[in-house]
Parts: sequence; C-alpha cells; structure tokens
Amino acid sequence: MTNRTNYTINESPHFEILSEDQKEKIFNGMMRTLQYTGANVHHEKARELFKKHGCKVDGVRVYFPPELILKALSTVPPVTEIFPWDGDESKKIVVEKNRSYFGPGPTPPNFIDTDTLERRPYLRKDASLVARVCDALPNMGYVQSLGSINDVTNGLADVYEFADMVRNTTTPIMSWSFTKDGCRDIHRMGIAMAGGEEEFRQRPNYIFYGEPISPLVSDYHAIDKCMYCAEHRIPQVYSPCAIGGGTVPATHAGQLVVALSESMVGVIATQLINPGTCVIIGGVQSILDMRFSIYSYGAPELSLLSAAHTEVVHYCGLPMYSTSGCTDTKKMDAQSAMEASLSINAAMMSGANFVHDNGYTESGITGDIFQTVMDDELISMARVIEKGIKIDPETLAVDVIDNVGSGGHYLYEDHTMNWFMEHWRPTLMDRNSYENWVEQGSKTMKDRIIEKTRDLIQNYEGPQNKVPAKASEEIEKILQEAEERIKKEGVAHE
Amino acid sequence: MSFDLGKISETLVTGKVDDLKTLTGQALETDIKPGDILNQGLLPGMDTVSQRWKAGDMFMPEVLRCAKAMGGAMEVLRPHLSESELGNAGTIVIGTVAGDLHDIGKDLAAMMFEGAGYNVINIGIDQPNEAFVKAVKEHKPNVLGMSALLTTTMPRMGEVINSLKEAGIRDQVAVILGGAPVTEEFAKEIGADLYAPNAGSAVEITKEYLESKV
Repeated sequence: MTNRTNYTINESPHFEILSEDQKEKIFNGMMRTLQYTGANVHHEKARELFKKHGCKVDGVRVYFPPELILKALSTVPPVTEIFPWDGDESKKIVVEKNRSYFGPGPTPPNFIDTDTLERRPYLRKDASLVARVCDALPNMGYVQSLGSINDVTNGLADVYEFADMVRNTTTPIMSWSFTKDGCRDIHRMGIAMAGGEEEFRQRPNYIFYGEPISPLVSDYHAIDKCMYCAEHRIPQVYSPCAIGGGTVPATHAGQLVVALSESMVGVIATQLINPGTCVIIGGVQSILDMRFSIYSYGAPELSLLSAAHTEVVHYCGLPMYSTSGCTDTKKMDAQSAMEASLSINAAMMSGANFVHDNGYTESGITGDIFQTVMDDELISMARVIEKGIKIDPETLAVDVIDNVGSGGHYLYEDHTMNWFMEHWRPTLMDRNSYENWVEQGSKTMKDRIIEKTRDLIQNYEGPQNKVPAKASEEIEKILQEAEERIKKEGVAHE
Repeated sequence: MSFDLGKISETLVTGKVDDLKTLTGQALETDIKPGDILNQGLLPGMDTVSQRWKAGDMFMPEVLRCAKAMGGAMEVLRPHLSESELGNAGTIVIGTVAGDLHDIGKDLAAMMFEGAGYNVINIGIDQPNEAFVKAVKEHKPNVLGMSALLTTTMPRMGEVINSLKEAGIRDQVAVILGGAPVTEEFAKEIGADLYAPNAGSAVEITKEYLESKV
C-alpha cells in the first residue's frame, strides 16, 4: 500500500545546459568536421593506421569517415577503475558517467613559494610538496604537480616529477611527458609501484595526460604518446586547450565542435590500437580575452563551456576532463575565491569525471598550492549541493514536527541528534563570533589558508615510509637510466 | 585634385580592408607623394589604433583587422615608395623554434609588427636553429623575434643566439623573445635583448629599444 506509481525521485540535482537535440548538433558538427575538414596528424605511423582503416590521407591531413568514428565510440569502456598503489579502496577512482574527481593541474612554469609567498620558477622539491599536501586533502581525488620542474636536466622534468610524487601520495597521479621516452619511464615506475606488468593491467595506478593543439592538429609527440598508452592500456586523457576566438571559433557552439573533433582523433587512435582502453577527453575550454590577450582561467565562459562540453562528451559515451578552481589573479585574493567558487560548483553540477586546474593562478602560468587548499574546501561545499535532498518519512519528520508543535525548539529531539551531524562543517570558513575572532588573532581567510597549508607541509608525513623498498630502488634506477638516455640522445624533437 | 589623407587614417581605424585599398589607389592617382600617403595617412591611422588599443578602447580582433588593412594598403603603395621611404620602422624576422608547432602568439606578434609598418619576415613554426641564422644573414633585419610555448623547446632560443654569435652576426640584430612560459629572467639568462610578455606589447618594446639605439 505504500508504493506509488509514476513517483519520481531526484537522487541528485539535475543540471543541464544542452538538450539531446543540441548535443546531437554538436556531435554531427564534429562528424562533419572530421570527414570534410579533417585534422593534421604529424606522425607517419598514425596516418598509416588511419589510412588502413578507411581514412583519406592527403599529406599530413587525415579525413575520418563517420563510420570509423562511430566504431571507435562503440568500443570505449563504460567503466574503468584506477587504484591507489597501497590498495586503499577509499581512494579508488571509478571512471564512469557523472562521478567527479577533482585535482590540481599540470606544468605551469612558476610556483608560489610556500615560505616567501613569492612567485618563482617551479622546483623539484615542489612536486613532492604538492603530492604530499594533496594526499592529505580529502577532496583531491587525483593529483597533478602544479608545475614543470626547472632545476633538473632539461627534458627530464616529467620523469623526476612522477618519481617524486608517486612516493609522496597514494592518490592516483595524472602524469604527463615530453616524449614517448618519458612516457615509457613513467610507465616503468607505475609498474614498479603496482608490483608487475600484469598487476598494472589489472589495477592501473595512474592516468596519463596528453594534448593535441587547437585547431585540429595532433603533433608528433602528442599522438606518439597517445599510441604508446593505448598499446599498454594506460588510462589516458587526450584533450586540447581550446581558446575561444583564438584557436577555435568565438561562438561557444563552434568551440565545442572543434574541441570535440581534435580530441576524437586520439579516441579513434586508441580504439584502433587497443579496443576497450580508457580514453578521457575534454580539456580547458575558455575564451581569449581580447583586451588583455590572455587565455582566461577565471571567465564565467569557462564554467559554461566546460559544463556544456561535459554533456557533449558524455553524449559520446566518453569520460570528461574538465576545469575548475583556477583564476586569472596573481595572488590569493577575493578574485581567486570568486572565480574558483563559480567554476567548482559548475563542474560539480555538470558531473565531469576529472576536474583539473584546482590551484592554477595567473591564467595558468603559476601553480599555487594555497589555492588548491582553498579549492579543497570549496569542493566540499559543492559536494553538499551535489548530494541533493533525501525525501522519505524519516527525513520529512512529520511526527517530530507534530511532537514539537508550534513554538519550542528541536534541539532536544532524538531526530536532531540523529541528523545534525549530516550538516557540512567548515575547515577554513569563519563562523566565529566577533569577540572570539578577535581573540583568536583576527585571522582573515588568507591567514587561515596559509596556516592550514603550512601545517600540512610541516606535520603531514604522507606515505613515504610505506613505499616498498624494491619499488623505490627500481625508480632510482629508472631515473639514472633516463639521465643516460638524455646524455646520449639529447632532448628528442621530431 | 584635392585628396583628404585624413580619410585614409579614418578608414584604416575602421579596419575596412577593401575600402582602404581603393582609397590608397585613388590617392596614388593624385599628385600627392607616395611617402605622404604613408606618413600622413596610414601611419597616423596606425598610431590612433595603437593608442586606442593601449587605452582599452579597441580589442584584439579589431586591431588585427586594422593591421590587415594596413598590409593591404602597403601592397598597393609599396611599388611606389623609394628605398628610403620603405621600411622606416625596420625589418623583423620572426619564427617559432624547432619542436614547437604552436603558432598563434607568434602570428599575432607578426601581424602587430606588420601593422606598425615593419617589414615582417615570418619564417613559421618548428624552425631549426640554422633557419633563424640563415634568415638573419639573408634579410639583415633590425630585430629577430623567437617564440616557444613548450618548456622543452625554450632552450632552442639560447642555441639560436649562440649560433648567431658563432656566425659573427649577433651584434647586427636585436633579439626579442615571447611565448607563455618565457620570462624576462629567462630572456636575460640566455642573452636576449628584449622580452615581451604578450603580442600586443612586443611592438612598443621593440620600438622603444630601436629608438634608444639611434
């Protein structure tokens, strides 16, 4: 008698920018672009592969028939799991529709020094620090380095970064590399941490990040690394930084068509090489500021475009690599908080899978771990909205309402005792009385963020002592061999 | 026949490519000196554009459209200008270093230089070190502009500067660097003369430098 027909439950909020028909329009725009405009692929073997599967090839330009695109999309996996190397199930990543994991971003040249708070080149020690702080932050679901190391042998920043980070966090890392050589070194380290090649295949413990160049160019190294990852079944991102009005049309719809098209080249390559291997697309979607000629990381258009792109990418049956928590400001201030709040909430509501750049300042030029720590709190706030509202007899509480009646209060009720713990509690936001706030040092948000970050840096050990000795030795060996490789071959450029 | 050179300036500021070409052609049919068309018509127009851009009254696509109009007008005018009237501002060779296929920033800078009356030789993306040296020898520019977006390719810029030294032509040319990861410190470190944080500022920085050298 308690069942009802046609009763609808919203398990979570519903947030939607595009209709099914609009998504189809973007999808068809991509199909048309790849068929008639084509994309440049600066890699002979990749072009041969595409040609073998029915693509028309003219010089470096490749034209993809619709049926090949559809075939590739039919073999992408609906779910992929990525595991922390210590087996902690609570940090496992499940790559499936509408499940969001937030993290920092890759490769800015600069970093905000955690002692001086000044901007300086990103150093090797920063990679371990970022990994360790993110390991402690409950809302960082995966980790990136927030920089490109300046103080190691040129061409090895990628390899040193992974070697140091993987020993300072169990949270799965999203790595990157200059060339396939770095990609191979990193993969050997991933295997060392997993305990063997087969173990890695069963339980992949990192994700690889690569990007094509807008508009519609896959350079040699991008597609070379993409193919390597596909061969070795390494979960990977293949997504551009599309600059609205610069490298893609100024209209959002046109931007989505181009961005989807250039990523799709990678999707097709991966599925031809190894059907069923995990590939994630998306990337940074924002606009070129025509007044200051910068790629804006704080623009509201970034939130709108990223959310819409998430819908289109999910429409294709693919996981989405989105963007949030970043800013155009130079130093932690109200602007960085405003821009980060908006983009984090939009990314959360859109259900993007991996949401990167939490900790980017100065339009992606400088990494800032303080911003990441602030973003961690903003993400936990957005999670409250993500959760929605549960409606059932217990939560409706009509008996309790009847019990208390009009007037009185709910503080004595068992119902309150059972439920108040569900309320979100801040770790950084100030809710103190004025007097207490003054007594505790009149600290601003900036003071509290610095305090929390420095406390983690000084007191949180991370998993360094849990790293198996054998794996650590293997990593050192791989670093040595990488040094020899660079000495012998130099920094490869095709 | 009277001709209002102010109209050339005005049309340039509106960025109407075809209209400006036609007007420039019409001006050439009068007895106005070609040098005056450039110095009293086109260049004052570009000055207005550059002032308005700096003041925030104009946006990048508008500025680039004006630069394109300027380029179109120069095509019409160039055959009529004497050697001394041509390329008053200077010549710049510009390119992206080996291993780097990113071109938007470099192309923006090239268009800005063109618009400011420079003779621009854009050698393209992914250019080996020798190509820069060869272009400097061949075109004898006042300025060599290099860009990179990848941190791996940045060192190529230092190598090009060294190659210029080895070829004995380093002193003949001012070297300016650009590209998102490139910093002023890096530019100094590898021995470049100038650094521009973005395409918009490159022209002005170069102009100031060249004027200070005169």
